[in-house]
Amino acid sequence: MHATICDMITDLVQNAIEARATEITLEVKETKTNLKFVIADNGKGMSAVVLEKAKDPYYTDGQKHRYRKVGLGLPFLFQTAEMTGGKAAITSKEGEGTTVTFNVDPTNVDLPAFGNFTTAAVALMSYEFEGNLSIERSAQNKSYSVNKNELVEALGNLNELESLTLLKQFIASQEEDLEAL
Amino acid sequence: MAKMTLEELRALRDAKKNEMTQRDTNEKSAQIIIGMGTCGIAAGAKEAFDAFLDELDSHSVTNTKITQTGCMGLCFSEPTVEVAVPGMPRVIYGNVDDAVARRIVKEHLIGKSLVSDHIFDKPAVDIIK
Ligand SMILES: Nc1ncnc2c1ncn2[C@@H]1O[C@H](COP(=O)(O)OP(=O)(O)O)[C@@H](O)[C@H]1O
Ligand SMILES: [Mg+2]
Repeated sequence: MHATICDMITDLVQNAIEARATEITLEVKETKTNLKFVIADNGKGMSAVVLEKAKDPYYTDGQKHRYRKVGLGLPFLFQTAEMTGGKAAITSKEGEGTTVTFNVDPTNVDLPAFGNFTTAAVALMSYEFEGNLSIERSAQNKSYSVNKNELVEALGNLNELESLTLLKQFIASQEEDLEAL
Repeated sequence: MAKMTLEELRALRDAKKNEMTQRDTNEKSAQIIIGMGTCGIAAGAKEAFDAFLDELDSHSVTNTKITQTGCMGLCFSEPTVEVAVPGMPRVIYGNVDDAVARRIVKEHLIGKSLVSDHIFDKPAVDIIK
Protein backbone atom coordinates (compact mmCIF):
# COMPACT_ATOMS: atom_id res chain seq x y z
CA MET A 1 0.00 0.00 0.00
CA HIS A 2 1.09 3.59 -0.45
CA ALA A 3 2.46 5.36 2.60
CA THR A 4 0.45 8.54 2.09
CA ILE A 5 -2.74 9.80 0.48
CA CYS A 6 -0.59 12.05 -1.71
CA ASP A 7 1.34 9.04 -3.02
CA MET A 8 -1.96 7.44 -3.96
CA ILE A 9 -3.10 10.60 -5.72
CA THR A 10 0.19 10.88 -7.66
CA ASP A 11 -0.13 7.30 -8.81
CA LEU A 12 -3.72 7.73 -9.96
CA VAL A 13 -3.01 10.95 -11.86
CA GLN A 14 -0.23 9.05 -13.60
CA ASN A 15 -2.72 6.42 -14.69
CA ALA A 16 -4.64 9.25 -16.35
CA ILE A 17 -1.47 10.50 -18.04
CA GLU A 18 -0.64 6.97 -19.17
CA ALA A 19 -4.16 6.70 -20.62
CA ARG A 20 -3.14 9.59 -22.91
CA ALA A 21 -5.50 12.10 -21.38
CA THR A 22 -5.14 15.69 -22.61
CA GLU A 23 -7.30 17.20 -19.88
CA ILE A 24 -7.00 16.03 -16.28
CA THR A 25 -8.62 17.55 -13.20
CA LEU A 26 -7.54 16.73 -9.70
CA GLU A 27 -9.80 17.88 -6.91
CA VAL A 28 -8.71 17.49 -3.28
CA LYS A 29 -11.12 18.68 -0.62
CA GLU A 30 -10.66 18.40 3.10
CA THR A 31 -13.24 19.20 5.74
CA LYS A 32 -13.27 18.15 9.39
CA THR A 33 -15.51 15.21 8.60
CA ASN A 34 -14.59 14.25 5.06
CA LEU A 35 -11.52 13.92 2.88
CA LYS A 36 -12.27 13.63 -0.78
CA PHE A 37 -10.28 13.40 -3.96
CA VAL A 38 -11.49 13.11 -7.52
CA ILE A 39 -9.33 12.53 -10.59
CA ALA A 40 -11.15 13.00 -13.87
CA ASP A 41 -9.52 12.46 -17.25
CA ASN A 42 -10.46 12.37 -20.91
CA GLY A 43 -8.05 9.55 -21.72
CA LYS A 44 -8.72 6.25 -23.44
CA GLY A 45 -11.11 5.00 -20.77
CA MET A 46 -11.92 1.38 -20.03
CA SER A 47 -14.61 -1.03 -21.12
CA ALA A 48 -16.72 -2.60 -18.35
CA VAL A 49 -14.68 -5.78 -18.68
CA VAL A 50 -11.30 -4.04 -18.40
CA LEU A 51 -12.57 -1.91 -15.51
CA GLU A 52 -13.56 -4.99 -13.56
CA LYS A 53 -10.17 -6.60 -14.27
CA ALA A 54 -8.28 -3.44 -13.39
CA LYS A 55 -9.31 -3.74 -9.75
CA ASP A 56 -7.36 -6.99 -9.59
CA PRO A 57 -3.65 -6.64 -8.74
CA TYR A 58 -2.84 -9.32 -11.28
CA TYR A 59 -4.03 -7.09 -14.06
CA THR A 60 -1.99 -4.55 -15.98
CA ASP A 61 -2.39 -3.71 -19.63
CA GLY A 62 0.72 -5.66 -20.62
CA GLN A 63 2.38 -2.66 -22.29
CA LYS A 64 3.23 -0.18 -19.57
CA HIS A 65 5.94 -2.18 -17.85
CA ARG A 66 7.32 -5.15 -19.66
CA TYR A 67 8.91 -6.80 -16.66
CA ARG A 68 6.29 -6.23 -13.99
CA LYS A 69 3.23 -8.34 -14.46
CA VAL A 70 1.11 -6.76 -11.77
CA GLY A 71 -0.57 -3.36 -11.61
CA LEU A 72 -0.95 -2.00 -8.13
CA GLY A 73 -2.30 1.53 -8.49
CA LEU A 74 -6.01 0.70 -8.42
CA PRO A 75 -5.74 -2.23 -5.99
CA PHE A 76 -3.95 0.11 -3.53
CA LEU A 77 -6.89 2.49 -3.78
CA PHE A 78 -9.51 -0.17 -3.06
CA GLN A 79 -7.43 -1.73 -0.32
CA THR A 80 -7.12 1.64 1.42
CA ALA A 81 -10.87 2.19 1.13
CA GLU A 82 -11.57 -1.22 2.59
CA MET A 83 -9.20 -0.73 5.53
CA THR A 84 -10.52 2.69 6.45
CA GLY A 85 -14.25 2.43 5.81
CA GLY A 86 -13.76 4.85 2.92
CA LYS A 87 -15.43 4.72 -0.45
CA ALA A 88 -13.55 4.34 -3.71
CA ALA A 89 -15.36 4.45 -7.02
CA ILE A 90 -14.36 4.42 -10.67
CA THR A 91 -16.54 5.25 -13.60
CA SER A 92 -15.12 4.91 -17.06
CA LYS A 93 -16.20 4.87 -20.65
CA GLU A 94 -14.06 3.53 -23.43
CA GLY A 95 -12.85 6.34 -25.65
CA GLU A 96 -14.21 9.04 -23.36
CA GLY A 97 -12.39 8.98 -20.07
CA THR A 98 -12.28 7.91 -16.47
CA THR A 99 -13.22 9.39 -13.11
CA VAL A 100 -11.80 8.04 -9.88
CA THR A 101 -13.38 9.20 -6.61
CA PHE A 102 -12.32 8.56 -3.03
CA ASN A 103 -14.12 9.70 0.13
CA VAL A 104 -13.07 8.93 3.66
CA ASP A 105 -13.44 10.06 7.25
CA PRO A 106 -10.15 11.94 7.85
CA THR A 107 -10.09 10.93 11.51
CA ASN A 108 -10.05 7.19 10.78
CA VAL A 109 -7.05 5.74 12.62
CA ASP A 110 -6.19 3.33 9.81
CA LEU A 111 -5.91 6.08 7.23
CA PRO A 112 -2.38 6.65 5.91
CA ALA A 113 -0.93 10.10 6.62
CA PHE A 114 -1.97 12.79 4.17
CA GLY A 115 1.60 13.44 3.02
CA ASN A 116 3.14 16.44 1.33
CA PHE A 117 0.76 17.87 -1.24
CA THR A 118 3.24 20.50 -2.44
CA THR A 119 5.75 17.88 -3.55
CA ALA A 120 3.02 15.81 -5.19
CA ALA A 121 1.69 18.83 -7.09
CA VAL A 122 5.16 19.95 -8.23
CA ALA A 123 5.98 16.44 -9.43
CA LEU A 124 2.68 16.10 -11.29
CA MET A 125 2.79 19.55 -12.86
CA SER A 126 6.28 18.86 -14.20
CA TYR A 127 5.54 15.34 -15.43
CA GLU A 128 5.89 15.69 -19.19
CA PHE A 129 2.76 14.96 -21.20
CA GLU A 130 0.82 16.65 -23.96
CA GLY A 131 -2.06 18.09 -22.05
CA ASN A 132 -3.36 20.18 -19.22
CA LEU A 133 -3.67 19.34 -15.53
CA SER A 134 -5.90 21.43 -13.28
CA ILE A 135 -5.75 21.24 -9.52
CA GLU A 136 -8.65 22.35 -7.36
CA ARG A 137 -7.74 22.26 -3.74
CA SER A 138 -9.64 23.22 -0.63
CA ALA A 139 -9.38 22.77 3.11
CA GLN A 140 -12.20 23.82 5.43
CA ASN A 141 -13.48 26.95 3.70
CA LYS A 142 -10.34 28.07 1.89
CA SER A 143 -9.38 27.10 -1.61
CA TYR A 144 -7.16 27.69 -4.58
CA SER A 145 -6.93 26.39 -8.10
CA VAL A 146 -4.04 26.23 -10.50
CA ASN A 147 -3.48 24.66 -13.90
CA LYS A 148 -0.48 23.57 -15.89
CA ASN A 149 -1.14 25.82 -18.89
CA GLU A 150 -0.98 28.99 -16.81
CA LEU A 151 2.12 27.74 -14.99
CA VAL A 152 3.93 27.03 -18.28
CA GLU A 153 2.89 30.46 -19.50
CA ALA A 154 4.40 32.09 -16.39
CA LEU A 155 7.48 29.90 -15.95
CA GLY A 156 8.35 28.44 -19.35
CA ASN A 157 9.69 24.89 -19.36
CA LEU A 158 8.66 23.40 -16.01
CA ASN A 159 11.48 20.85 -16.04
CA GLU A 160 14.20 23.43 -15.66
CA LEU A 161 15.53 23.63 -12.15
CA GLU A 162 14.85 27.37 -11.88
CA SER A 163 11.19 26.86 -12.85
CA LEU A 164 10.81 23.92 -10.47
CA THR A 165 12.20 25.89 -7.56
CA LEU A 166 9.77 28.73 -8.20
CA LEU A 167 6.90 26.32 -8.83
CA LYS A 168 7.55 24.74 -5.46
CA GLN A 169 7.53 28.15 -3.75
CA PHE A 170 4.30 29.02 -5.54
CA ILE A 171 2.43 25.85 -4.55
CA ALA A 172 3.85 25.99 -1.01
CA SER A 173 2.51 29.51 -0.60
CA GLN A 174 -0.96 28.35 -1.69
CA GLU A 175 -0.82 25.41 0.70
CA GLU A 176 0.33 27.59 3.59
CA ASP A 177 -2.56 29.91 2.98
CA LEU A 178 -4.97 26.95 3.24
CA GLU A 179 -3.60 26.06 6.65
CA ALA A 180 -3.50 29.62 8.01
CA LEU A 181 -6.47 30.45 10.18
CA MET B 1 4.79 33.68 3.09
CA ALA B 2 1.81 35.44 1.51
CA LYS B 3 -0.16 33.62 -1.15
CA MET B 4 1.79 34.23 -4.38
CA THR B 5 -0.02 35.36 -7.51
CA LEU B 6 0.74 34.21 -11.06
CA GLU B 7 1.97 37.74 -11.85
CA GLU B 8 4.46 37.57 -9.00
CA LEU B 9 5.55 34.14 -10.18
CA ARG B 10 6.13 35.45 -13.70
CA ALA B 11 8.13 38.42 -12.40
CA LEU B 12 10.37 36.16 -10.31
CA ARG B 13 10.99 33.94 -13.32
CA ASP B 14 11.87 36.90 -15.53
CA ALA B 15 14.31 38.21 -12.95
CA LYS B 16 15.99 34.81 -12.75
CA LYS B 17 16.16 34.51 -16.54
CA ASN B 18 17.98 37.82 -16.88
CA GLU B 19 20.55 36.82 -14.36
CA MET B 20 21.03 33.42 -16.03
CA THR B 21 21.42 34.23 -19.70
CA GLN B 22 24.83 35.87 -19.24
CA ARG B 23 26.26 32.70 -17.75
CA ASP B 24 24.66 29.64 -19.20
CA THR B 25 24.32 30.27 -22.90
CA ASN B 26 25.13 27.32 -25.12
CA GLU B 27 26.20 25.09 -22.27
CA LYS B 28 24.47 21.72 -22.40
CA SER B 29 22.33 21.03 -19.37
CA ALA B 30 22.56 18.14 -16.94
CA GLN B 31 19.54 15.90 -16.70
CA ILE B 32 18.03 13.97 -13.82
CA ILE B 33 15.29 11.48 -14.66
CA ILE B 34 13.30 10.07 -11.76
CA GLY B 35 11.29 6.84 -12.05
CA MET B 36 7.81 7.68 -10.79
CA GLY B 37 5.80 4.54 -11.44
CA THR B 38 3.76 2.86 -8.70
CA CYS B 39 6.84 1.15 -7.25
CA GLY B 40 8.96 4.27 -7.43
CA ILE B 41 6.31 6.30 -5.62
CA ALA B 42 5.81 3.60 -2.99
CA ALA B 43 9.57 3.46 -2.44
CA GLY B 44 9.89 7.21 -1.91
CA ALA B 45 10.58 8.72 -5.35
CA LYS B 46 8.79 11.91 -4.36
CA GLU B 47 11.07 12.34 -1.35
CA ALA B 48 14.05 11.88 -3.67
CA PHE B 49 12.55 14.43 -6.07
CA ASP B 50 12.17 16.91 -3.23
CA ALA B 51 15.71 16.27 -1.97
CA PHE B 52 17.15 16.88 -5.47
CA LEU B 53 15.29 20.17 -5.74
CA ASP B 54 16.35 21.29 -2.30
CA GLU B 55 20.01 20.29 -2.62
CA LEU B 56 20.43 21.71 -6.13
CA ASP B 57 18.87 24.97 -5.08
CA SER B 58 20.92 25.29 -1.91
CA HIS B 59 24.16 24.86 -3.89
CA SER B 60 22.91 27.32 -6.52
CA VAL B 61 23.38 24.75 -9.25
CA THR B 62 22.02 25.94 -12.60
CA ASN B 63 21.49 24.50 -16.06
CA THR B 64 19.85 21.30 -14.84
CA LYS B 65 16.62 19.61 -15.85
CA ILE B 66 14.58 17.24 -13.72
CA THR B 67 12.15 15.02 -15.55
CA GLN B 68 10.13 11.99 -14.58
CA THR B 69 9.28 8.75 -16.22
CA GLY B 70 6.86 5.95 -15.42
CA CYS B 71 8.05 2.51 -14.40
CA MET B 72 11.68 1.79 -15.38
CA GLY B 73 11.10 -1.93 -14.81
CA LEU B 74 13.55 -2.03 -11.92
CA CYS B 75 11.01 -2.26 -9.11
CA PHE B 76 13.40 -4.05 -6.76
CA SER B 77 15.80 -1.12 -6.64
CA GLU B 78 13.35 1.78 -6.64
CA PRO B 79 13.54 4.67 -6.40
CA THR B 80 15.72 4.66 -9.51
CA VAL B 81 17.20 7.79 -10.99
CA GLU B 82 19.07 8.28 -14.25
CA VAL B 83 21.67 11.03 -14.32
CA ALA B 84 23.23 12.49 -17.46
CA VAL B 85 25.91 15.11 -16.98
CA PRO B 86 27.53 16.38 -20.21
CA GLY B 87 30.94 14.78 -20.67
CA MET B 88 30.24 11.99 -18.19
CA PRO B 89 28.80 8.50 -18.65
CA ARG B 90 25.04 8.30 -18.25
CA VAL B 91 24.24 6.21 -15.18
CA ILE B 92 21.26 4.76 -13.38
CA TYR B 93 21.28 4.87 -9.60
CA GLY B 94 19.15 2.54 -7.48
CA ASN B 95 17.65 2.90 -3.99
CA VAL B 96 17.86 6.67 -4.12
CA ASP B 97 16.52 8.04 -0.86
CA ASP B 98 16.84 11.59 0.44
CA ALA B 99 20.47 11.13 1.52
CA VAL B 100 21.57 9.46 -1.71
CA ALA B 101 19.85 12.16 -3.78
CA ARG B 102 21.85 14.79 -1.90
CA ARG B 103 25.07 12.83 -2.46
CA ILE B 104 24.35 12.59 -6.19
CA VAL B 105 24.05 16.37 -6.32
CA LYS B 106 27.26 16.98 -4.38
CA GLU B 107 29.43 14.21 -5.79
CA HIS B 108 28.11 13.67 -9.31
CA LEU B 109 26.59 16.95 -10.48
CA ILE B 110 28.96 19.28 -8.66
CA GLY B 111 32.04 17.10 -7.99
CA LYS B 112 31.83 15.26 -11.35
CA SER B 113 32.53 11.86 -9.86
CA LEU B 114 30.11 8.92 -9.78
CA VAL B 115 28.43 7.73 -6.58
CA SER B 116 29.77 4.21 -7.20
CA ASP B 117 28.04 2.37 -4.37
CA HIS B 118 24.60 3.23 -5.74
CA ILE B 119 25.15 2.68 -9.44
CA PHE B 120 22.60 0.25 -10.71
CA ASP B 121 23.58 0.17 -14.33
CA LYS B 122 25.97 1.88 -16.71
CA PRO B 123 24.99 1.34 -20.34
CA ALA B 124 28.50 1.92 -21.61
CA VAL B 125 28.15 1.07 -25.32
CA ASP B 126 26.92 4.37 -26.65
CA ILE B 127 29.29 6.33 -24.45
CA ILE B 128 32.45 4.57 -25.63
CA LYS B 129 31.58 5.22 -29.26
N1 LIG C 1 -7.40 6.59 -15.77
C1 LIG C 1 -7.36 5.45 -16.49
N2 LIG C 1 -7.77 5.43 -17.80
C2 LIG C 1 -7.71 4.30 -18.53
N3 LIG C 1 -7.28 3.12 -18.07
C3 LIG C 1 -6.87 3.05 -16.79
C4 LIG C 1 -6.89 4.20 -15.93
N4 LIG C 1 -6.44 3.82 -14.70
C5 LIG C 1 -6.15 2.50 -14.80
N5 LIG C 1 -6.40 2.03 -16.04
C6 LIG C 1 -6.22 0.64 -16.53
O1 LIG C 1 -6.13 -0.21 -15.39
C7 LIG C 1 -4.89 -0.93 -15.41
C8 LIG C 1 -4.40 -1.13 -13.99
O2 LIG C 1 -3.99 0.11 -13.40
P1 LIG C 1 -3.01 0.11 -12.17
O3 LIG C 1 -3.62 -0.74 -11.10
O4 LIG C 1 -2.70 1.49 -11.81
O5 LIG C 1 -1.73 -0.64 -12.70
P2 LIG C 1 -0.70 -0.17 -13.85
O6 LIG C 1 -0.94 1.30 -14.05
O7 LIG C 1 0.64 -0.44 -13.25
O8 LIG C 1 -1.00 -1.01 -15.05
C9 LIG C 1 -3.96 -0.10 -16.28
O9 LIG C 1 -2.97 -0.88 -16.89
C10 LIG C 1 -4.94 0.48 -17.31
O10 LIG C 1 -5.19 -0.47 -18.34
MG1 LIG D 1 -0.93 2.69 -12.45
